[in-house]
Amino acid sequence: MTLSFTNADWSAILPVEIVAAAGLAVLLADLFSGRKQWRYVSIVIGLLGVVAAGIVAGRQFGHNYDAFFGGFMAGGFATVFEEIVLIGTAGSLLLYGTIGPAGRVAGTTAIMLWSACGAMLMAGAANLIAIFLGLELLSLGLYALCASVDRKTARESALKYLILSSTATAFLLFGAALLFGATGSVMLDDFINPSLATSPIFWMGAGMFLIGLVFKLSLVPFHTWTPDVFEGAPLPVTAFMSVVTKTGALAVFARFTYDALPPGVAAKLLLPVWIVAAISMIVGNVGMLAQVDLKRLLAYSGIAQVGYIVVALAGGTPLGLRYAIYYLTAYALMNLGAFAVAASISGPDEDGSQLSSYRGLGRRRPWLAAAMTIFLLALSGLPPTAGFLGKILILAVTVANGYIWLAAALIAGTAISLYAYAKVIRAMYAPEEGQHEHDLRPFVPLAWASAALCAAAVVAMTFYPLTPSNVLPLVR
Amino acid sequence: MPLVLVSILLPIVAGALLVLLPRGDRVLSRAIGTVVAAITFGTVLAAGTSEWSARWLSRPFESAFHFGATPISYWIALLLALCTACAVAACRVERTRDFVALLLALEGTMLGLFLARDLLVFALFWDLMLVPVFFALVGWGEHPATAWRYFIYNFAGGLTLLLATAAFGIIYGSTDVIGSGGAPLAGGWAPWIYAGFAFAFLVKTPVWPLHTWMPPTYSGLPSPMVSVVSGVQSKAGLYGFLVIGTALLPAYVHQYATPLMVLAGISLIYGAVVALTQNDAKRIVAYSSLSHLGLIIIAIASANPLALDGALVYIVAHGLFSAALFLLLGYVEEREGTRGLPRLGGLAWMNPRLGGALCIAALAALGLPGLAGFAGELLILIGVYQAGYVWPVVVALVAIVLASAYMLRLYQDIMNGPQREDLPIRADLTWLEGLAVAPLLAALLLVGVFPKPLLVNAAITSAQSGTLR
Repeated sequence: MTLSFTNADWSAILPVEIVAAAGLAVLLADLFSGRKQWRYVSIVIGLLGVVAAGIVAGRQFGHNYDAFFGGFMAGGFATVFEEIVLIGTAGSLLLYGTIGPAGRVAGTTAIMLWSACGAMLMAGAANLIAIFLGLELLSLGLYALCASVDRKTARESALKYLILSSTATAFLLFGAALLFGATGSVMLDDFINPSLATSPIFWMGAGMFLIGLVFKLSLVPFHTWTPDVFEGAPLPVTAFMSVVTKTGALAVFARFTYDALPPGVAAKLLLPVWIVAAISMIVGNVGMLAQVDLKRLLAYSGIAQVGYIVVALAGGTPLGLRYAIYYLTAYALMNLGAFAVAASISGPDEDGSQLSSYRGLGRRRPWLAAAMTIFLLALSGLPPTAGFLGKILILAVTVANGYIWLAAALIAGTAISLYAYAKVIRAMYAPEEGQHEHDLRPFVPLAWASAALCAAAVVAMTFYPLTPSNVLPLVR
Repeated sequence: MPLVLVSILLPIVAGALLVLLPRGDRVLSRAIGTVVAAITFGTVLAAGTSEWSARWLSRPFESAFHFGATPISYWIALLLALCTACAVAACRVERTRDFVALLLALEGTMLGLFLARDLLVFALFWDLMLVPVFFALVGWGEHPATAWRYFIYNFAGGLTLLLATAAFGIIYGSTDVIGSGGAPLAGGWAPWIYAGFAFAFLVKTPVWPLHTWMPPTYSGLPSPMVSVVSGVQSKAGLYGFLVIGTALLPAYVHQYATPLMVLAGISLIYGAVVALTQNDAKRIVAYSSLSHLGLIIIAIASANPLALDGALVYIVAHGLFSAALFLLLGYVEEREGTRGLPRLGGLAWMNPRLGGALCIAALAALGLPGLAGFAGELLILIGVYQAGYVWPVVVALVAIVLASAYMLRLYQDIMNGPQREDLPIRADLTWLEGLAVAPLLAALLLVGVFPKPLLVNAAITSAQSGTLR
């Protein structure tokens, strides 16, 4: 059999191609920079690519079709997740305005863009091979990005991520192989076959596949790598991992659980995942309490937040998927915003991630502190932010689907998380007690812009809850 | 722009704009704040029961940004606007600009809560109104742990409120139900929904044993803020019981009336006894609040029309006298640098106006006929007795007697007796300070002799919007 791809195939992944080309353009431009090391040129080219890809992807919305013989589903679902990936990439790129040695910005920007390509592939991947391709493209870039600063913790972070992520990939790959063995096909839509419901190989394969995904989502008990890796990696990379990796993994998870399981299997097969999500909401929020580093705090927070999103998918209703997407978007914006504030007060050594550097910020940088407050309120689910509405919507859909215990775990987790988020707010606004004050950077235009945009979006999303309606179907 | 929306947004926006003033400003921010609060009072008054609505969600349930006073919330909103105006006028704390901004934000968010006609909007403002108080506790509080305790207790209540609202919306299909005469909910999840609401309301009021956040919060906050928090924010739970419990889930208010009354009865006695033993003047008023609000819970649990009317009168009365008491105790503390009763004494010799004002407020609190407290108490006691609950009336009467004891002790230990040699002698109330509490005292007298406009037939109007009589 010869495979020949048509123009329709290539245009389905046009956004991915644009982002990949932008990465090349960044490297080419860097050739001409000589010793001047244009930090901003790389960022601007990268952003232009991201925006162009965003526009192209947006035009695909509502035109569902499968490309590459069912390997990639362009249209609603893929578009939405691609846009979230692009938002995450743009937000992370903006942070390079301050962080890291200027000489390395071009290289890291390019790798980040290519990593984003992997996540975008995952957003549309509808067969096991495309999923694996996307996942590896995403991860390979991240291994390099984690080690992209000269710091012992960064190298440790990269190595840890490499080893643990490879283990997860092994699980996913073995699961995929078993799925292929059980079905004779790599296409997700071939898994809907009812006869598979009794096949033990299918169950094993699906289970191992899910373990691999849950690792990428960093849910308990596969979460222990997250805080260490987040702490060691450079700030923009941490922001990127906290949003983009999870978005890609969630896309695959949603596609797999919604449209790629034989009838009647979902309730039993996925029950462990819901339990894991419930535990994550508790463990993630408890883990936050003792943290003194913002990156570690947000790592634990991310464990819990992804738990909230996964919970919305319990029950497999279209409404649940819409609210999961809404909350994922909100989560992306508030996380990127928080990292932008951290970058705004950080020097090259990233001291801004220490909680102690937030002391007195309310007086010294009132606008930054106000933005940070909005992000923290959003993360803890307080109004007037998208986090509040997102939690309500998820609560409502969870209750409506009959998963009361998940709603209860969500409530309990949220209550625990309050202390951790409010601790940062308190540090910013508590009156000084004559401690050593952290040296602040003067004005960091890119990071400030990013924080302002994210804050505005997080508030606006409360009042205009855009939940995309036509994201189904997910497979051919 | 509709007036009801103006009254909610004006204080919030004006408070945010205060940041434009120089950081160390003391006079201008206070003046602007007072004017804004006064205008807000005017808009609430003028808006009456007019409504404004805009669609928010259509799935998974209908929800709208629907605002407008019901006859019940109209009076509470007026009380709030009055208390805030007085508090801002009396505001003399460090970093005045930021503090006034927080006070105005608190007013706006609470007006949003009381004027909300949609449960989800109610829940939104419920959480939102915690934020300014949290910031005030962080920036001006006496002890850091207080901010946590306030926040975590009240937010836990906010979460159960949220869960109950979501469940209500799913079952009922719409949350746009406050004061709209929607059919009551019963069966299935309804008892759990009621439990979720009731927990939030009981924490906020508060009621024993959920009250432990309250005494440190009330004594730790600066006086102007606590006068609004104790005067009005504590009424959010009672208001919720009236318009959500009584109106939408009446079966369960009735079914669980006895446990509710037991908790409220314990609060009544416990609060009064502890108030008798405290030496910190603000804590005495805080515990008296616990005691007084227990009486309102009893009234609501009895579901008697007369008692419900009395509950609204007493909500307003308590708001007025606790706001006045806290403001006046703030003046005392400002003058003498302490609020410990053993350290104070004989202030009335040099401060007759301050003494007179405190006397009126304390007498209203102990239920002297002719002042607002008495009108509410009497209606509640008669109503509860009519409903066939005798023991709560007895408990309430004991607590009212105890109220006389601790209020008179408060007044006497501060104002009467020989002048303390070791305390600085300061001037009496300035006209501005006097003007800041005068409206509260005047309103106390007015409601005391003429409570009729407040008798809105709460038993019926809690379920229906209507016009003011």
